[in-house]
Amino acid sequence: MRELLTGPNLARLICLLILILLPLAVPSPYIRHLLIITFIYAIVASNWDLSLGYAGVFNFGHIAFFAAGVYGSAILSKTIGITPWLTIPLAGVIGVIAALIVCLPVLRLKGIYVVLVTFAFSQLCFQLVLSQEEITGGSMGMPLLPPLKIGDYNFARDGKFGYYYVGLFLLVLSTIYLHRLVRSRFGTSIIALRDNEDYAISRGISLARQRMLTLGLSAFFTGVAGGFYSTYVRVASPEIFGFGFLSLALSMLLLGGLNSIYGPILGAFVITLLSEAMVDLGPMRFLIISALIILMLLFYPGGLINALQQASTWSLKSGKAEKYFRMLVGR
Amino acid sequence: MDIGTAQSVLLSGIVLGSLYALMATGLSLIWTTLGIFNFAHGVFMTIGAFIAWQIGADLGWGMGPAAGIAVAIAALIGLGCLSEFILVRPFLRRPDVVLVAVITTLSAAIFLENSALLVWGGRYKQLPPLIKGKVGMLSTAISTHEVLIIAVAPLTLFALWAFLKFTRTGSAIRAVAQNRESALLMGMNVPVLYSLAFGLSAALAGFAGILLGSIRFITPGLGNEPLVKALIVAIFGGLGSLGGTIGAAYVIGLMEAISMFFIGLYWTPAVLFGVMISVLLVRPTGLFGKR
Repeated sequence: MRELLTGPNLARLICLLILILLPLAVPSPYIRHLLIITFIYAIVASNWDLSLGYAGVFNFGHIAFFAAGVYGSAILSKTIGITPWLTIPLAGVIGVIAALIVCLPVLRLKGIYVVLVTFAFSQLCFQLVLSQEEITGGSMGMPLLPPLKIGDYNFARDGKFGYYYVGLFLLVLSTIYLHRLVRSRFGTSIIALRDNEDYAISRGISLARQRMLTLGLSAFFTGVAGGFYSTYVRVASPEIFGFGFLSLALSMLLLGGLNSIYGPILGAFVITLLSEAMVDLGPMRFLIISALIILMLLFYPGGLINALQQASTWSLKSGKAEKYFRMLVGR
Repeated sequence: MDIGTAQSVLLSGIVLGSLYALMATGLSLIWTTLGIFNFAHGVFMTIGAFIAWQIGADLGWGMGPAAGIAVAIAALIGLGCLSEFILVRPFLRRPDVVLVAVITTLSAAIFLENSALLVWGGRYKQLPPLIKGKVGMLSTAISTHEVLIIAVAPLTLFALWAFLKFTRTGSAIRAVAQNRESALLMGMNVPVLYSLAFGLSAALAGFAGILLGSIRFITPGLGNEPLVKALIVAIFGGLGSLGGTIGAAYVIGLMEAISMFFIGLYWTPAVLFGVMISVLLVRPTGLFGKR
């Protein structure tokens, strides 16, 4: 128990506690809305890191898994009439199915070809969504999706309290899931494949199987986030395939830092707030974000989380942090 | 399907193939030389079309199509060199340059697309056809502009081939593509050659954009869909062989025209994607790919 409460774990718990208590302290529903969107982005970005960062698979179709969740859940809940409580987890399954489809050609490919095929796959999904108007609503999207409800209580009421906690719960669940995954034998094996493919294969790791697992496992919570997103904003629109969404998610990954779970989550918080602050700028916003991505890659490839870690090891060395932690746990 | 329809399908396939050949060759040129993939290629087309419209069209500054094309191509060469300098050069020594370049060029694409939106707005614009009128060809009539595309694309590519094959600079570009270290040891100025290849490729993209700009409406998103097609062509043909890319462009163009006629507009992307996947399952480096 004592080990659970030291160092990084303690910091994580404090962050979680702040997020749990925040809506009680901050009354503005707008802030809650921003945070809900942040949770969704954080899930998408941190799961993307599993394939892009940890496994080194250049998967650029991750948004398509999210979109599969968005549209899957929308169709299941609106057209077929299943309760959103079920369609959100089912959206995860749909995301995994999308991932397995894209896996088929990707398993044998290398390097740039993986990028091209996954990118083309994402564009193909976009075209299909646009063209199948009677199912997906085409370029108009699917408006007025059924909201989350318990009995007669609509979760959008009381300033979105319900959605806030569902979103936070999903983010925590996804983070624990990623945490376990990365530290498991599977996680080590995909890192080994990334760092030294030939050696890893010679030690008996199957490249194709691990790749399929990576994409499939990274798609589950992404799809769930998609289902939650469409249930929350109550519309499934083809806009999510656009460069805007892709660039936001990508900038979260890069700004936060690849190869870490908390980096992209941190990135999601920073970028969402930043992009919300610039919302009046219109297209300028994307100019700034894309320039930020390039600058980040130029000058700080490790990302924010790296900077944070450096700062914390520095303060640990100087003994300040320990004192601080002791103070916090009251010892 | 009577003979007339067959011929018009064939012609539209060749027009598409010519455009794809222009676009995909530029992508392939950068891939062979620098070993990276340029996702800003599509938006280069957009920018080319917009500049040509601004300079040349009557609603712009009305200086005539020739001035429009000349300025657009010159500007695109500059833009290409600049892109190489900012997006690729700083990262060339990194082991993950392929991934980094995807991200930087994608960011540049977003940057340029939104810049175009800021400068020119989202309203549809169109370039006048370079030559007006229609001509009878085989048993159908097609616009003279499309005939021009059919004729100009192979000519441009032939000029590119001749440049790469017979000039000193062209040989140097190929040398760098084949072996960067040896080229460096022979005293070639590799960064300049990289820049040149990027500028050349951007000029090709801009030219394709100008040709496209009078058969489609120019919007900031003009280049997105052609970029995906060029991707499919490049994958299908196999990156790294210019001849293979050009051949694949015509195959894909014809396939698209045939599929549009028989299967319809909406499922055509899926058909092309399916074909690409099946090729990749058998040959992971494309039909003519080497790497």
